[in-house]
Amino acid sequence: MRPVAVTGLGVVSPFGAGVKPYWEGLTGGICGIRPLTLIDTDGFRCRIGAEVPDSIGGSVRRSRADRFALAAAREALDDAGIGRADRADTALIVGAVGGGMLEAEAWYWQRARGAVAPPPRVLASCFPSSHVDVVGSVLGIGGPRETVVTACSSGAASLAMAADLIADGVVSVALAGGVDALTRICFMGFNTLKLLDPSPCRPFDRDRRGMSIGEGAAFVVLENGERARARDARVYAELTGYGMSTDAFHVTSPHPEGEGMIRAMRAALEQARLTPADVGYVNAHGTATPQNDRIEARALREVFGEGGLLVSSTKSMIGHTMAAAGTLEAVATVLALGHEVIPPTARLEHTDPDIAFDCVPRVAREVAVEHAISNSFGFGGQNVTLVFRRTG
Amino acid sequence: MSERRVVITGAGVVDGHASGVLSRLLDETESRRLSRVCQMTVAAGRLALADAGLTGGPELALVVGTEFGDMVSTIRFVDDYLQRGIPGLSALLFPHTVMNTMAATTAIAVAAKGLSLTLNAPTVAGELAIARAACAVRAGRIEACLAGGADEPPRMVVDTYREVGAGAGAGAGVRGEGAGFVVLESLDAARARGARILGEVVGEAWRALAVRPHGVGRATRSRAIGAALASAGAGPDEIGLVYTSSNGDGPRDEWERVLLDRALAPHRPPQRSLSLPAGRHSGLAARSIATAAAEAGSGLALVHAVARGGNQVAIVVAGSRARAA
Repeated sequence: MRPVAVTGLGVVSPFGAGVKPYWEGLTGGICGIRPLTLIDTDGFRCRIGAEVPDSIGGSVRRSRADRFALAAAREALDDAGIGRADRADTALIVGAVGGGMLEAEAWYWQRARGAVAPPPRVLASCFPSSHVDVVGSVLGIGGPRETVVTACSSGAASLAMAADLIADGVVSVALAGGVDALTRICFMGFNTLKLLDPSPCRPFDRDRRGMSIGEGAAFVVLENGERARARDARVYAELTGYGMSTDAFHVTSPHPEGEGMIRAMRAALEQARLTPADVGYVNAHGTATPQNDRIEARALREVFGEGGLLVSSTKSMIGHTMAAAGTLEAVATVLALGHEVIPPTARLEHTDPDIAFDCVPRVAREVAVEHAISNSFGFGGQNVTLVFRRTG
Repeated sequence: MSERRVVITGAGVVDGHASGVLSRLLDETESRRLSRVCQMTVAAGRLALADAGLTGGPELALVVGTEFGDMVSTIRFVDDYLQRGIPGLSALLFPHTVMNTMAATTAIAVAAKGLSLTLNAPTVAGELAIARAACAVRAGRIEACLAGGADEPPRMVVDTYREVGAGAGAGAGVRGEGAGFVVLESLDAARARGARILGEVVGEAWRALAVRPHGVGRATRSRAIGAALASAGAGPDEIGLVYTSSNGDGPRDEWERVLLDRALAPHRPPQRSLSLPAGRHSGLAARSIATAAAEAGSGLALVHAVARGGNQVAIVVAGSRARAA
């Protein structure tokens, strides 16, 4: 793959709106996981999550997720200096899962209880595809539009798909990202699967007990490298390769040997023309469930061997933001390369002895790394690995 | 990287109203445990692969388009909670609330271990999936792909659309249920294994038209059709037949007619839609592609779809006697 330049970033996270508070939160090791206020948690084992603060703004006629998406997309386009005139041929790829379901749930709850419900416009906005229509329409993006759903790897998949459009010459610029707001269905479902830790999650810890859910959005502007250079754009990093694979094993459980994860990572390295030794940092999927962390670590060991690789999970601070996770973590990886700071794994006290890596416990670390990868894995065994290279 | 030629080597469609098909194509566990839309998706995938004489493996990709995902299971998951509280929540149903559940179950059933994508879009998702897959085969990123779509429209949603029409913001087009796939391969790979070639995807493009979310627009200039024709190296007058996405949503259907008329003018090839009367579902895109290839003979056909909200897809198909034979 010809490298694709990352020229703009936008984030809405549990630390608020903007890339700056996001990076400050991550490198400060701050935990954004708190008691949930958006939804009724009475009777559930886990009652916490990482909510986005109320200060995001935007029209309340739009779904919460649409507002996240708009804020993050706008920041990314502005950051890259992609004006209205450029947007007519810009691609828009959004990874999403919950869509506007939070509002649709509220409507359906009311309807089921016999209350007079408002007109069901929320129904048309409840699907994941709502975000591309809203972001595309409001921000005037006229190129190819797609909504990709690969569960928790959706945000990462959106970047890979956007990179393909640039590599194929379909577009020169693409806005790609992931978004998800908390929903009752997601909260109840993961509780039912007993995958949630009642306390803030502790990825890679010997005593980890499960994940914490979160919400947010992140977008990146990807650009043909020559175009970016020609207009003297600031290039945060280059996306040099990706790998996508499917376990075809189980709907919710990853392959026990991490076979699909290994294929995704190897395909990404091959596309980026790197050897495992070239990679210095992995932003892991790192959900903190006992099974997932163990299998990811096994897959990492198979690909990279044991040694000096730095591995951290930023989910320890912002929870698992579902479809947004892959992009939020890609942004963290890009910023880590540029700032030469590796975000930590918060609350990691006793690293699981089965995890043979330096998981950057609790405190961010100043390290210059040339190449880094971001892993995202989803229900259905949907594995995505992105490879980034430092620039400048 | 040199571009490859993309051929169609198999097709399989399962319509919701067809009887007896599912039980022949699913094993006992699948019949018992999978939701209806997942059953239809698995069955259509198996039909298409059998038609192509292809089996799964690390190289087989899967791209599934859907408008509704497994919304029926999602509603059931919620209803169980509303009726019985926390004890009513089902750990088995929860994974079906994520739209990639059809792709996940199909990937397992047919051992599709390559790239797997689920694309969500109202009324054009199947065409979008086939166009995206064709692009990936053409660029050499994948060797073979099951591409198409599946839908089982939930009664509650369809009834609400019907009651309030455009007030729901989604249009009241006729929605059907079913699943369908085509198998797309590179010409070289298909020839190497002696596959029967049903036709060729010679050009594809998707773009967005300027319009408010869920709305029908005034824009009548189609960049998607122009780009698809350009990538096919064909002019409008070479299109002998058009398969449209007409679905009974009056304003949307009229918009599509105007878009096609302007893009192909002064040429006016015959237009057909496979949506009616059975209703439109994302799997019908596969049927449109396969039928277009069969009917195009030695010429070209255009498979076209446009959705409320402005997502537009154009795919140029050559008949089996045209180029790939």
